[in-house]
Amino acid sequence: MIEEKVEIINKLGLHARAAAKLSHLANTFDSDIFIVFNEDKVNAKSLLGILTLAASVGNYISIIADGKDEKRAVKEIKGLFEKKFDEES
Amino acid sequence: MIKSLIITHGGLGKELIKVCEKIFNKNIDIECICFNWEEDGTIAINKVENFIEKNKGNKIMIFTDMFGGSPSNICFEFVDKNIEVITGINLPGLLKFLTYREKNMDFKKLAKIVKKGAIEGVNIIGEYLGEKND
Repeated sequence: MIEEKVEIINKLGLHARAAAKLSHLANTFDSDIFIVFNEDKVNAKSLLGILTLAASVGNYISIIADGKDEKRAVKEIKGLFEKKFDEES
Repeated sequence: MIKSLIITHGGLGKELIKVCEKIFNKNIDIECICFNWEEDGTIAINKVENFIEKNKGNKIMIFTDMFGGSPSNICFEFVDKNIEVITGINLPGLLKFLTYREKNMDFKKLAKIVKKGAIEGVNIIGEYLGEKND
């Protein structure tokens, strides 16, 4: 199991389109993947689950992956946050 | 593939589809019937019958905007083992449907999941924040 923390740096935070991209990417991996924010832990493969976190810019979330492709999953999901979900230049 | 139809008062359904397409960044295969305020329902019923005929052999999920409204009331007669109607659809419910529709799950179970997703999308933020801060 791998866990990595990442800061939300896109202006709109984990809003609908960003959450859709995140869940879409998470669904391409076999591993179980979770996003943790404060006390809440949601399935990263669930769009509505991610939206319930209501996580905004400046917040830190943790990505947890557990499975055979966990390393790649965390790396790619972290990358999605770092490139601001391709929303901003 | 589960075929789907949204029937709403005015253009509400069309806008819901547009928003989903924006969120998923792709075209979404859901047809829409905008219920005309002035008509008695005959035209809309014909459109639903045509949709069902055209998609014979598929499971069909119909969404309407409000239980008890005309768009819902005209659909009661169509419900059977291959056709289900979910009333009071909202954006969370529709997103749930679009996420699960290709997962090959039991059709009636999918309807329950969509209903749950739609209901869970309604929150009172004051209460939500209260729970989080408790």
